[in-house]
Amino acid sequence: MRFGTVLYKYASRSLTRHVRRTLISMVGVGVGCAMSLIALSWMNGAFEMQVRAVAESGSGHLMIVHRKWPDLRENSLRLSDWEESLEKVRQNPGVRACSARARANGLLAFGNRSSGVQIMALQPETESEVNRVISRSQLEGRYLYPEELDSIVIGKSLAKRLSVELDDDLFITVPGLEDIHSAMLRIVGILETGSQDLDLSICHVTLEALEAITEIPGAGEIVILLKDYNALDTVSNQLAEKMPENNLVITWKEVLPALASGMQGDKAIMRLLTTIVIVVVALGIMSAQLTAVLERRQEFAILSALGMKGGQITLIVFVESLLIGVGGALVALFVGGVVSWYLATYGINLLFFNPEGLGPSNILLDPRIYGSFGSWLITYALVISITATVVASLYPAWKAAQIDPADALRTQ
Amino acid sequence: MAVTIRDETLVHVKNVVKIYRSGEIETTALCGIDLEVKAGDFLAIVGPSGSGKTTLLNLIGALDAVTEGSLEVLGQNVSSMSLRQRADLRLHSLGFVFQAYNLFPVLTAQENVEFVLELQGVNKNRRKRAREVLAQLGLEKYADRRPTQMSGGQQQRVAVARAVASQPKLVLADEPTANLDGENAGILLDMMRELNERLGTTFIFSTHDPRVIDYARRVITLVDGKIAKDIVKETDGDGQL
Repeated sequence: MRFGTVLYKYASRSLTRHVRRTLISMVGVGVGCAMSLIALSWMNGAFEMQVRAVAESGSGHLMIVHRKWPDLRENSLRLSDWEESLEKVRQNPGVRACSARARANGLLAFGNRSSGVQIMALQPETESEVNRVISRSQLEGRYLYPEELDSIVIGKSLAKRLSVELDDDLFITVPGLEDIHSAMLRIVGILETGSQDLDLSICHVTLEALEAITEIPGAGEIVILLKDYNALDTVSNQLAEKMPENNLVITWKEVLPALASGMQGDKAIMRLLTTIVIVVVALGIMSAQLTAVLERRQEFAILSALGMKGGQITLIVFVESLLIGVGGALVALFVGGVVSWYLATYGINLLFFNPEGLGPSNILLDPRIYGSFGSWLITYALVISITATVVASLYPAWKAAQIDPADALRTQ
Repeated sequence: MAVTIRDETLVHVKNVVKIYRSGEIETTALCGIDLEVKAGDFLAIVGPSGSGKTTLLNLIGALDAVTEGSLEVLGQNVSSMSLRQRADLRLHSLGFVFQAYNLFPVLTAQENVEFVLELQGVNKNRRKRAREVLAQLGLEKYADRRPTQMSGGQQQRVAVARAVASQPKLVLADEPTANLDGENAGILLDMMRELNERLGTTFIFSTHDPRVIDYARRVITLVDGKIAKDIVKETDGDGQL
């Protein structure tokens, strides 16, 4: 059916028979679609920020670990040729920042107080580029110097638990490959992230210090941040090709599988809710369209009597629905666009709703979550609104095409 | 002007039975109708309510299917046609005028006439053709009006224009004057008679209206689904009234 034909005029003007009903249908489609737009904007924005927070809180977008690490999760495993591997990672154009680390489970003691911690041994000169725990926290004292052997930085809550302050000497005990090793390290800095749980887990030394204490040389992981998250698979594959046999490239999802599946679950629930909203809206449209078809039963009978075929009658109902869908999309774009723009520009401070703190304890989340906003909104609004209305009009259109002209005219 | 009744048979109804079924209830609307309609005829089907007038008209108009018997319209066996073939027959060869006018309220008079032409796939000069038909029937000044802006008589005249715009051989009119006053009924009948005489269009009416019967050249009376009378008014030797 071409624009400007009598058939098109008939279909489009039919929407003016009950202007209020048409407008309500458009607003119904629009609001339903706007809700899903807003939900999607929020979900995409929140997901993006969560991924960034996870990546920048230690897991990176990608991580290079020992091939056995995913199964054993053993901190004593070390990379093969870690310095050469780190250099290869640094040379990849998709990599924004990278740094090498090693971890060890240990015990910190001061006087009669002690606390079990995971000690993170790192390269101070590059760690701040990959770890927002360092770059975004308040630091009392100073951070570690490269290759410093006898210094430690801990979190504020851990310091409180151990009743220590700057320049106190902590007794650290860690397992080596065969024996237990210990050392005295001076507290040179105390970090405060704003999350008590996170502060309780911060225990940083240099890579060289841990090597010296445990007598296990090398790094256990290389953490990588990408310039573009969408290039995750590409960069992962590129790096995998250049790594020694024992080194394995994994994504943050493999580092934190529970968190990744939780986030995927959140996404799935949001999608389900969005789908339910759209289905409810579509059912409403179907009801309105069916009423319109039944009201015009005799008119459809006349169309049929004049020689119009079932397919053409179906097309008329589709075009009417399509126009409602386009109107709904405009409403959705206006309502959803404004709210999504607000979410993307000003965000929502989650601490307002949950002053206790945010998310998992080992991740430094941004309290203000920003939605996603872009040209995708237009495509999404059009596709969802039009699809919902056209699908909703399938049954009314079929019903219109099935009207028996003789029967309808007999009961005129 | 007088019309020539040609020997060509447009409609051939042979022993047609029509039964309506609703659950277990059967209603026989037509029982064993035999009828031939020649090209150029101006035929009225009369009879009391429930006698089967509209049913017969619907069958001839390929709107409904016969239960028994055979029905040929314009040389085509309607009884064996699919829904699509029947729709094609209606579109290309038949015109309809309904009691309640049944113009499309969202279209102007001109667009109502154009509608059928567009369905037929007429693209070239469609607008001009619709305008000409309206002008021929004295409806030019109503061309841009919607049905709600016209009187019943004007609407029915537009309905006739819509029916004849594509120059069908056969026009079926179901109680066309039932909702019109005497003056408008007269105008309408004059108009249809003029089309019959000028273009040779065959008209079949179902009607109660004695005015239509006066205009008709042939009158068939149905009673209880059967033809009770078939009166052909006298013509001269050339088949003219």
